[in-house]
Formats: sequence, C-alpha cells, structure tokens
Amino acid sequence: MTQTSYAELIGVCAGALLLTSVLTVWYRSQRASVRALGAQGVALAALVAVVAIDRAEAELIPVIALVLVLKGLVLPWVLTRRRTPAAGARAGADHGEETMLLNPVAILVAAALLAVVAYAVTWPLVADSLSPAAHAAPVGVAMVLIGFLVLLTRRRAISQLVGFLALDNGIATVAFLISGGVPLLLEFGASLDILLVTLILVVFSRQMRTVFGDTDVDRMRELHD
Amino acid sequence: MTAVSWAMLLQFAFAGLAAALALLPAERIRSVLSGAASAVMSAVGVVTGVLAMNGVTGGLQFAVAVPAVPLTFAPDRLGGLFIVLASVIGLLVAVYGAASVRGASASRTAWFALPLFLMGMQLVPAAADAVSFLLVWEAMALGSTVLLLAEHAGSSRVSSAAVWYAVMSQLSFLFILAGFGVLSAAAGGTDFSALSAVAPASPPALLAFVLLVLGFGSKAGLVPLHVWLPRAHPEAPSHVSAAMSAAMVKMGIYGILLVVVRFFPGGPDWWGIVLLVLGGGSAVYGILQASVSSDLKVLLAYSTTENVGLIVLAIGASVLLTAHGITAAAGAAMLAALLLVVSHAVFKVTLFLAAGSVLHATGERNLDHLGGLGRRMPWTAAAFGIAALGAAALPISSGFVSEWVLLQSLVHGTRVGGAAVSVIVSIAMPIVVAVVALTAGLAVLTFVKAYGIGFLARPRSAAAAGAHESSRVVRAVLIAGAAGVVLLGLVPGPLATALVSVLPASGTPIVESAGLLGVNLPGLGAVLDPLVLVILTAVLASFVIIATLRSAWRNPQRIDAFAWGGGGERAQPRMQYTATSFAEPVVRVFDDVLQPARDVEVTHAGESRYLVNRVRFSQSVTDIVESRLYRPVLTVIDRFGVVVRRIQNGSIHLYLLYSFAAVIVVLVVATL
Amino acid sequence: MLVAFVQVALFTALAPLLVGVTRQVRARVEGRVGAGVLQPWRELRKLLMKQPVRARGSSWILRAGPMVVAISSLVLAALLPLVTTVGGRLAPGDLFVVVSVLLIGAVALALVGLDGGTAFGGMGSSRHMTVLALVEPTLLLAVYALSIPTGSSNIATIVDARLATPAIIVSPVGLLAMAAMIIAVMAETGRLPVDNPTTHLELTMIHEAMLLESSARDLAWLEFGSWLKLTVLLGLVGNLLAPWGVATSNDPLAVVIGMAAAVGKVLVLGAILAVAEVLLAKVRLFRVPELLAGSFVLAFLAVAVSAMVS
Repeated sequence: MTQTSYAELIGVCAGALLLTSVLTVWYRSQRASVRALGAQGVALAALVAVVAIDRAEAELIPVIALVLVLKGLVLPWVLTRRRTPAAGARAGADHGEETMLLNPVAILVAAALLAVVAYAVTWPLVADSLSPAAHAAPVGVAMVLIGFLVLLTRRRAISQLVGFLALDNGIATVAFLISGGVPLLLEFGASLDILLVTLILVVFSRQMRTVFGDTDVDRMRELHD
Repeated sequence: MTAVSWAMLLQFAFAGLAAALALLPAERIRSVLSGAASAVMSAVGVVTGVLAMNGVTGGLQFAVAVPAVPLTFAPDRLGGLFIVLASVIGLLVAVYGAASVRGASASRTAWFALPLFLMGMQLVPAAADAVSFLLVWEAMALGSTVLLLAEHAGSSRVSSAAVWYAVMSQLSFLFILAGFGVLSAAAGGTDFSALSAVAPASPPALLAFVLLVLGFGSKAGLVPLHVWLPRAHPEAPSHVSAAMSAAMVKMGIYGILLVVVRFFPGGPDWWGIVLLVLGGGSAVYGILQASVSSDLKVLLAYSTTENVGLIVLAIGASVLLTAHGITAAAGAAMLAALLLVVSHAVFKVTLFLAAGSVLHATGERNLDHLGGLGRRMPWTAAAFGIAALGAAALPISSGFVSEWVLLQSLVHGTRVGGAAVSVIVSIAMPIVVAVVALTAGLAVLTFVKAYGIGFLARPRSAAAAGAHESSRVVRAVLIAGAAGVVLLGLVPGPLATALVSVLPASGTPIVESAGLLGVNLPGLGAVLDPLVLVILTAVLASFVIIATLRSAWRNPQRIDAFAWGGGGERAQPRMQYTATSFAEPVVRVFDDVLQPARDVEVTHAGESRYLVNRVRFSQSVTDIVESRLYRPVLTVIDRFGVVVRRIQNGSIHLYLLYSFAAVIVVLVVATL
Repeated sequence: MLVAFVQVALFTALAPLLVGVTRQVRARVEGRVGAGVLQPWRELRKLLMKQPVRARGSSWILRAGPMVVAISSLVLAALLPLVTTVGGRLAPGDLFVVVSVLLIGAVALALVGLDGGTAFGGMGSSRHMTVLALVEPTLLLAVYALSIPTGSSNIATIVDARLATPAIIVSPVGLLAMAAMIIAVMAETGRLPVDNPTTHLELTMIHEAMLLESSARDLAWLEFGSWLKLTVLLGLVGNLLAPWGVATSNDPLAVVIGMAAAVGKVLVLGAILAVAEVLLAKVRLFRVPELLAGSFVLAFLAVAVSAMVS
C-alpha cells in the first residue's frame, strides 16, 4: 500500500468515525442513534484493518474481528433488544423521541465547537509526527468529547449508554491511531468490561422502566427523596 | 500653505457661515441658507479628503492650546478617505435637511449644532496629534447630542435616549483620553508620529490598545457597548440619524484603524482575536435584533451594529492573518473592511433618509402599520429597495462586492500553498465564515421584511394609505444615494484600487482592476466582474422578456381581482402578515438568545373552560445586553447615589468642611 | 460563450422533463399510472396562454418578481459547469456569486409572496426566508470545504480538479461537504424533508404558499424558475459527485458527450430524489433548524477535518 493511499484510507475512516459520532448527537430517535453507533463500530474496525494492513501485523486480525463483532453488532443489538412483545409495546415510547436537556440546535453547534477544541488541544502534540495515522488523532479526541456531550445532555438511560459507548470508541480510536493498538489481551479485557457494563446498565434501565414507566434518569432523584 | 491647507481654511469659513446663518429668525430662510452653507462646507471637505487621499500633505496649525504644543490638523491618506466619507454624507444630509426639516428640528440651536457636528466629523480624521483629536472628537459628540435633543425636547423617550447617548459618549471619551494618555506618557509626546514609535508589544501599547478599543468600540456601536445606538438613532431627526449611522459611527472605526494600521501595524495576534470576537458578536447580535424589530428606524440602527461588527471582524481577521504572516489574505481582509466602510456609509445614509421620508409622509415608523407605500411613494420605495439590496449584500450592490472580498480573504486565510499554516487561524476562519454567513442570511431576511412589509401589499393603516411622495430635492438626494450603491457595486475596480492606496504599501498588490472594471485579488486568485455578470443576465433576461411580451400581446387583459380570501371578499388589509408575524419564526428559532417576553391571556366565556371569549397574546423582544448587563450596574450606581446624597446635602458649610479636610489631608500627605 | 448558451438551452429544455420524470417515478412507486413525463411542458404552455389574474392593490413586483425568479435560474444555468467546465471561466463562475444569484431568486419569490397581500403569502415568504437564512452558513461552509483542495472558489476549477484527482471526491472533506451540500440543496429547492412540493394544505406550505396569488404567465415563470433551479442544482451535485463526462474543451464531440452525461446524471439523480421523497416524511417546521444545524455541523467538520488530516 502506498503512503498516499494509506493516508487517504485513514482519512476516510476518520471522517466516517466523526460523521457517526455527529449522527449520535443529531438523531432524536434512540433507535437511529444506536444504528449510528453500530456504524461507528464498523468504521472503527475498518480503521484497525487499515492500520493492520499498513503494518502487516497479523495479530491485529483477531482485534479487528473482536471490534467488528462487539462494537458493530453485539452492543447495538443489546441496546435495541426487547424482552417480550408486551414489554416492547410498552417501551415503544421509550425507544422513540428523545427529549434533551438543552436546545438541540445548541447541542449540535456545541458538538462542532468540541471538535475544534479537540483539534486545538491535540494538534500541537501530533503535528511533528510523520505518520498520517497520528495526524488523525484529534478525531478520536473529538469523539471522546462528543460522547461526553451526549452523556451530559440526554435524559434517557439508553441514550446515555450510547454516549458512553461513543466515548469508549473515541478512546479506542486514539489508541489505535497513536500506538497502532494496545496488546490483544488488554483490548480483549477492556471490551469485556464494556460489554459487562452495558449489560448491567441495560438491565438497570429495564428495572427503571418497570418501576417508573420510563427511563428518564431525572426520576432517579425520586429515589433520593 | 498647500492645497489641503486652503481647502481646510475654506471649510472653516463655511462652517462659521453656516453657524452664523443658523441664527436668522425666519425658519424657512434659515433652513435653506444654513443648510446650503453646510452643504458647501461638506463639498469643500470632499476636495480636502480627495487631495489627502492622493498624498497631498499639509494642513493647519493652531498655536492656542498649550503654548509648546500647537493643535495640528494634517490628514494622511487614510484620514483623507474618512474625510471624503464624512463629507459626502454631510453633503447629502445637509441638502436633505435644508429641503425637509420643519418645526423643532429646524430651530436655531439645531441649525447651529449641525455645522459643528459635521465639521467635527470632518476634522477627526485630519487631526495629527492626540490633543486636537480629542478636541474635535468632543465637538462631534457635543454637536450630535444637541441635534439628538432637537425634536420633542420634552418627550421622555428622546430625553432618555439623549441621556444614554451622552453618558456613553463621555464614557467613550474617557477611555480614549486614558488610552492616549498612556501612549503619550510612554512616547513623551502627543504627536501621532511620536505615538507610533512605541513598541507594539510593550505594556503601554497593550494597555492603550484595550482602552482605545473600548472607547472607539463604544462610538462604533460594538456589542456590548452599543446600547446608545438603538435608542439614539430612532429618536434623532432622520437626517441626523443618517449622519450618525453612516458617518459618525465610522469615526470609531477610524480610531480602531488608527491603532492597528497607523500606530502599531505589527500588533500581536490576540488583538486580532479580540477584534474578531467583538466584531462577530456584534454582527450576529445586531442582525438578530434587527430581524425581529418592527420599528423601521430601530431596525436600521441595529443593522448598523451588524455592519460595524462585520467591519471590525474584517479588521480583526487582517490583524490575525498579518501576525501569522499570511499577507495576501490579510491585505484582502483589510480591503474588505474599507469596502464595507464605504458601502455601509452609502447605503445606510440612503436607508435612513428614505425612512425619514416615510416617517414624514405617514407619521409612522412601525412597520406593522405601514404597507403599500411602493405605489404611493415610488421614488422613495425605489431608493430604499436599492439601498436594501446593499444592506442585504445582494448583487449588484456595493454590499455584495465587499462581502465577496471579505469571504474570499477568509476562505484563503487558512492555507498558503496548500498547507495549513497555524492552528489558531485554522480554527478561527471556519467559525468566522459561519458567523459571516449567518449574518448575511439574516440580513437578507431583515431587509426583505423591511421592504416587503413596508412598501408592498396593501396599507395596514389610514396613515399609510394617505402617504404622499416627498419633494423633488429630497427625491434627488435619495436617488443620488441609491445610484452610489449601484455604481460601487457595478464597477468596484476603481474604488478598490483607490482604497488600497490609502493603506501602507506592501510588496505584492492586494487588488487590481480586472475585466470591465471588476476586482481581481491577485494574491488569492479570485476575480469578480459584476459588469460581465450584468451583461450575461441582460442577454438571458431578453428571452424571458420576449416570451412575456408575446404572452402579454395575446392576452393583454389583466383582471384586477380581490386577493385570495377563501372565496370571499373578506380579506381585509389587517389580515396580512405584519413585520412581527414575519419575524416570528426567527424569534422561535433564536428563542434562547433573544429571550422574548410572552404573555397569553385567555378570557373564558361564562363558566365553561372550553369556550374561549378572547385570547390576548403579547410578545416583546428587549435588548438582553441592556437588561442583563447594564441594569444591574445602574442599580448599583443608583444605590451608591443614595449614599452620596446623604453626604451631599446642599449645605455650603458642609462643602467648605470637605474642602478644608481635603486641604489638611493634602498637606499631611505632602509632608510625609 | 456559445457553449454557455448551449448549456442554458439544454437545461431549459431539460427542466420540465426532469420534473415530469420525478413525478412519473413517484407515481409508479406509489402504484399510480402518472400523467406522463411531458405533463410539465403542457402545463407551462397552458399557463403562458392564459389570462393573468392579479390581486387589487398589488404592485409591479407581482409582475416582475416571477420573471426575476426565472432569470436568476437561467443565470445559474449559465454560470455553473454543467455540460462544460470551459464556459464557467468566461463569466465569473465563483461559488459565492452562485450563492448570491440563488439568493436573488429567493428574495424575488419572497417579495411576490408578500405583495399579494394575503396571510398565506406572507406566511410562506416568512418561512422561506427563515429557512434560507439558516441554510446560508451550511452553504457557504460547504463552498469553503469544496474550495480547500483546489485553493479556489471557482466552481469550474473545482470540478476540473475532481476530474483530475478523483481521490478528492471520496476524501473525508469531500464526503462531509457533499452531505452538507445535498441537505442545503434540498432546503434551497424546497424538497422533502424541508418542504413538501406536492402539498395542498396551506398551513404546511412554504414554496406553494407564495405562489397562491400568481396565475397564468406569472405562475409559469415561478414554476419554471423553481424547476430550472432544481435541475441546475442537481446537475451541479451530479458533477461534483461524478465529474466524468463533463467537457473540458470546446471540442464539439466533447460538448455532445458532456450534454449526454449531464442529461443522464440529472435524470438519475431526479429518479433517486423521487424515490427518496416517497420514503421521507416532512419535518415539522420548527424541527427544520435542527436538520439544518446538523448539516451545518457536517460542513463545519468538513473544514475542520481538512485541517486535521492534511
């Protein structure tokens, strides 16, 4: 693979990652933002694949498979799965429109500005690096910040989970871009953690729904009172 | 004595003549003669300015102030440009005033203040040292305050506007005084050439920059120092608001240019960022307020804030780009700033004078009560429409050319030879482009509203239905202004090259005349040739016109029918969309920024909750900068005033006691 | 210059055809027979032969406005590199100029809506101008992003560069900018999900509400203007996405190929548009800002990313 086409492929993957994380902010529908998250997982796997091909590292292949299966398929499936048809019908409202804590337009503009902040803080660190992958590192930082933004501004538990997972994808992106990935074992462990956390939170949100009727996390205050 | 000196002497002579003629007893004669003298004074001012722009040096010196330091008025090229600007506006305003003003605004005081105000404005750019600058600056402020008070001196709105204006003027004066003071102390002289010897990165220069930008920014009407503007412009007589908005505000810009171009051409890059933030904020805030305003003159006043914001933004971009060594784009940004200055002056004077004619004809400045003026005042409507094109930055107007140059300079500012140059510039430019674009979009909406609601459709009130066209002289002034807008938009090449000549010369030329008097920015590889565009449009338009004529020839008859009223004749004029309803979507979209006060009052019929007798809805948008920033400060000052009143109870003996105590303290301190 | 006129003539003829094709595709997808692809032509002819009816109290704007709308679309057709990238260099085919010509047409339409003196006309033009003001940042930032790889905002140069190095098209900057551009074009031309061009309910109208007071040749020009604008902008999107086939010289053969390519691209895009519109629902008016803010973010990121991955 030539250096220019490598840089271009990295650029396309980075663009796709950034696009999907904007989409998680943009969509009001929970289903759609979970789909965007799935697409982000696939884009991340593609990015790892590009890095692997460039470095000709065979041990990255299981990592690619892991990322693709876990982030692209399993996690989105867990988030959208409904237990029973009856519960699904009742949860219909919950999977629909998300209400936000702030003006949606303001959130979108904030996402754009966060991308700029990410660029401003990361660029000086990677500017001298010769690798095109390192140059795309600000994208990963932007994903982390945008994930945080989603986490902050959504009311429903599932949407917050989307934000959390987007944040995690951002961390993974930075790791792969800067160091070509973490050791397989570590990656495996981290992924398992994420899966576990997600499962627990999904179960929690089911519990919330049975108690409160929806998963608006503001209701948690009622527990305190 | 050079030509400039002679011209300036003549200006002084005519200013004196205008002031003397203002004392004549008969109102009509006073207006015509004093107005004519002011007009001639301004015409001579144009000559002075053009001479100075072309590099003719010279001026006047008065050895009156401090014996050692004479007052010097010797304009340089940049000053010359602003003299031309102030003089052309002065000329239009004086003629308009002579032909139209009656009653209170034609009083002796008002006619006496006009030459003072105009002369002050024409002298500010000529001043060559800090003392004379401050002197004429104060003359300008004083003259405009008196003129603002001219009409309905008893009306509470006018007096409140005058108080705001006077306070903000003095505040601005104090900041400028302090700024020049700091610089003079560092330079050891008040002469401008001495001031520019201070190193740009030294602490006095930085402090002076902050103080001077505050002072000049307040005069220019930058947010958050703009609060006087939407109060003073609407309440002043229309020709005065035209002069204030088109010319006086530009003196604030001249001041900022003085700092960043003449004194410290190599300022640090954060100066640019400061100016970008101030300018961008003013542009967006100004146009948002303008777009939701229903009062025609308030709308124009806020639009001034917007335009001044764009100018300062362009200057800021130029400073930032210069600091990062991107000279081609920096030069283009500075050219854009100057083009915006000229273009805004021309279209805004026309808009304000046309609004004055509307006010004169209908007694209304509320757009919600206007409408249908296009048929009743065709000349005024045409002039307003053309000037509105300029304000909305649509082709083929001066506004379009200047925004085009601005956008080109911003778009080409990030990269030199295909590579990103600096992080800060790469971040700033997209944000600035977005700000300029949003401003441009809202400006189009604002002026479609102003023209469409004010001049089209059916009149919404009896006053609008009974409107009449203004006098011939007034029409001529309006047409001259509108012609200027079109001319500068059609053949921008000569103007652009003339504007560049007032800037310090750089290596490569910033702009060249290209094609049919279009502009070419050689450093950026961008060409704009409006005349070619017009020719192309004319050729294409001929097909449409021929087809229309053929159709009209076959079906010549036009049936005038009632407007669409659901099948009836019930569509009343008051059922039309008003300015308020037109701006409603904008209010909703920018709800968080504008924070309108809404009130819905429902009266139920009898006992039923479901039958509604009447619903009363009211909504008002206030200036949140004023209510959130100034009101708290004013409250604190008010409280302080109560305390001070206790100390100051009017007893002479108490005051003497204070003085005595002060003397004692001074003596004690001096001996220590 | 001659080539530019060939281009204008081609697109003038193509505009009603494109609208006919989209309507026909839509009808077939929805299971209807449809009126045939030539129906818009017949409508135009009918309207030009009718007697105009105009509201009492309206001004010359009601007569001149529709012509301005049509002329502005014609100017667009001349300025953009649709068939050839050569014609664009004669007149200043700068993208900022193109945007301002679009604005002129939009302003004329809004004034026509206001001049009728009815509530619906004013409502339409108020909404129209609001959408337009909000599209402006997206559009200009998209222009900015498109101009980055070539260092010029001249649209013919941009298309040329894309033809020479197709990598620009699939680069992240290119993709993000095109996504933003397409949403902006949908909003500019009043298509779903911003405005429903086939609506018959006044309260949901934007574009149609402004036409209520116009009839006969006035209406013909307004309709033709908006059709031509759609066609031209689709042609532009087509040439930006797939610049192949566009003529780069005045060679007659190249121009003929360019014409065929332009017709093909526009019709394919029109068919895609029609199918997409069957699947899409109109967004609530006060959700439109959200949609546009999203597209703004895409355009903004396109510019930001270009600095990141250079």
